[in-house]
Amino acid sequence: MALIAIIDDDPDILDASSLVLKSKGYDVITANNPNDGYKIVKGKKPDLIILDVMMDEPDDGFYLAQKFRKEGITIPILMYTSVSKAIGLDFGKSEMVPVDDFVEKPISPEELVNKVESLLKVKEVK
Amino acid sequence: MNNFKGNILIVDDEKGLRLGTKRLLEEEGYNVTAAENGTEGLQFGTITDFDVAVIDLKMPDIDGLEVLKEIKSIHPNTVCFIATAFASYETAIQATRIGAFGYIPKPFSPEELIYQVEQGLKQRKLILDAHRLELEREKNLLELANEKSRLNAIIKSISEGIIIINTNGDLAYYNYAAIKLLNINNIQIGEKILDKLPVHVTDIVNKIFQSDKIMLKSYTTEFSLHADNELFLEAACTPIPNPDGSLAGVVIILSNITGYKRIEIIKNQFVSMVAHELKTPLAAVQGFLNIIMDQSIKLSPEKQHDYIQRSTIRLKSLTDLVNDLLDISRFEMKTKEREIFEVHLEEIICSTIQMLELELNKKGITVEKNIEINLPFIKADINEITRMVTNLLSNAIKYNKDKGKIFIDISSSKNYVELKVRDTGIGLKPDEKQKLFSEFYRAKNDMTRGISGTGLGLSIVKRIVDSYFGLIEVESEYGVGTTFLIKLPINPN
Repeated sequence: MALIAIIDDDPDILDASSLVLKSKGYDVITANNPNDGYKIVKGKKPDLIILDVMMDEPDDGFYLAQKFRKEGITIPILMYTSVSKAIGLDFGKSEMVPVDDFVEKPISPEELVNKVESLLKVKEVK
Repeated sequence: MNNFKGNILIVDDEKGLRLGTKRLLEEEGYNVTAAENGTEGLQFGTITDFDVAVIDLKMPDIDGLEVLKEIKSIHPNTVCFIATAFASYETAIQATRIGAFGYIPKPFSPEELIYQVEQGLKQRKLILDAHRLELEREKNLLELANEKSRLNAIIKSISEGIIIINTNGDLAYYNYAAIKLLNINNIQIGEKILDKLPVHVTDIVNKIFQSDKIMLKSYTTEFSLHADNELFLEAACTPIPNPDGSLAGVVIILSNITGYKRIEIIKNQFVSMVAHELKTPLAAVQGFLNIIMDQSIKLSPEKQHDYIQRSTIRLKSLTDLVNDLLDISRFEMKTKEREIFEVHLEEIICSTIQMLELELNKKGITVEKNIEINLPFIKADINEITRMVTNLLSNAIKYNKDKGKIFIDISSSKNYVELKVRDTGIGLKPDEKQKLFSEFYRAKNDMTRGISGTGLGLSIVKRIVDSYFGLIEVESEYGVGTTFLIKLPINPN
């Protein structure tokens, strides 16, 4: 079964997301800040990354995603967003935001699982 | 004012004639002064501005023409007649040349005299009216000139830029603020100006020129002249109509709205931050509830209980946040009346420590107090000072190490009470220290992870201290501890 890394500074979100994915049989590793997130991705080589957009800084999720891509890590990234859209910071996939899909908080287990499944399928095809 | 028809001076050395004339004119309703010779006539006539003077030509002391001349030189508006039995063409000319209005040959009949005096009075009235009108006209002209220069001075000195353009696009008027705000040089009244104005303004002016009907309202636009957005301007363009309703031109008022824009940006940032801070705990709670409700996820009763408990904690923090926001809003809007009484800081410190005992014991933190004996009261609202102390002490607990210490020193000087709260906690990095009092700022590093807070506590403390004209300072060493120093005036008024 695929290994998923979740990087989010909110322990409750980490816990809830892990539980949902574990219940579907995925293996999960977590980090609660960008530095540890970088380390677990480099060390454990997961199949998919779930990344919060706003951690210690309002945009450090973006930077981490850019860093992964720069270093040739091509695995799918699913980005957690919160208020960005509501306050007019509407962004989509782009060079600046090199992620594959978004999940808006609060997280619906069904949506999360669906998006993870479809991203992993695309990865297999590739 | 009296009720006489006029003030008349009679100068005649012939007593009978003089008194007869006086009585005659008095009966007609005039106020008559009679002089019995030239000297007296000259004296009376130069002291009082008579309406009409009737002067005998031949008098033993001073000649009538001489009297006339003197009176005229002092009171040019006194209408003078020369009366004489020796009427001759030459004296008549001479008399009128030096200012006599008429010539009354002697002997004269009462009717003749009355007629002449009436004519004289009419003349006097005309002269006075003309004189008054002349004065009024001069005064009006002077006022107009004053008004114009005053208006000019006002327009030139106001900070809003003013530009007036006629329908040909020629510059009709401008003030210094306009060229300064638009940063344009070398413009002159009468020259084509539209090309030199920002395109936002030109567009509006052209639209006004092209529309068939003049709408008497302002059309406004906001724009920034510099790429780095350091100057925001607002231009209000208003059509100026001719009296016949056609378009005469456009007046453009330019205002510097950079300050408002800056406030708007700060406000938007604040709203974004509030939205984020409110949504984060909600998202966590919603996430837990979604899992609990999801039939496809099997959850042990222990896990379910754990999630409900954690949701409760997040909701509690949300409530704290809303309360902090309300406190800040109360401060900003000054909606709550302060209740200023004598407050004893030591009592507040002691009751706050008691309130926080549970948290203190949880981390095994001890408090050492060093409080000046006979500490003076301060005049303040007890709720605000309690809030300030609570926020400071709960930070000193939250960011302290396990089994750490808190030192509280209170002393006083002539005008101030000084409170020092020192902890043996994780301390602050220099860049963290700078942002410490701003809303929602929370030092985020390996040591603060897991410590919850709204990010508003110290910003509220600062607002309270500032509102009492006090002083707050922070000293800190990363990994060693932090000291807050607060000086509050004993009597803020």
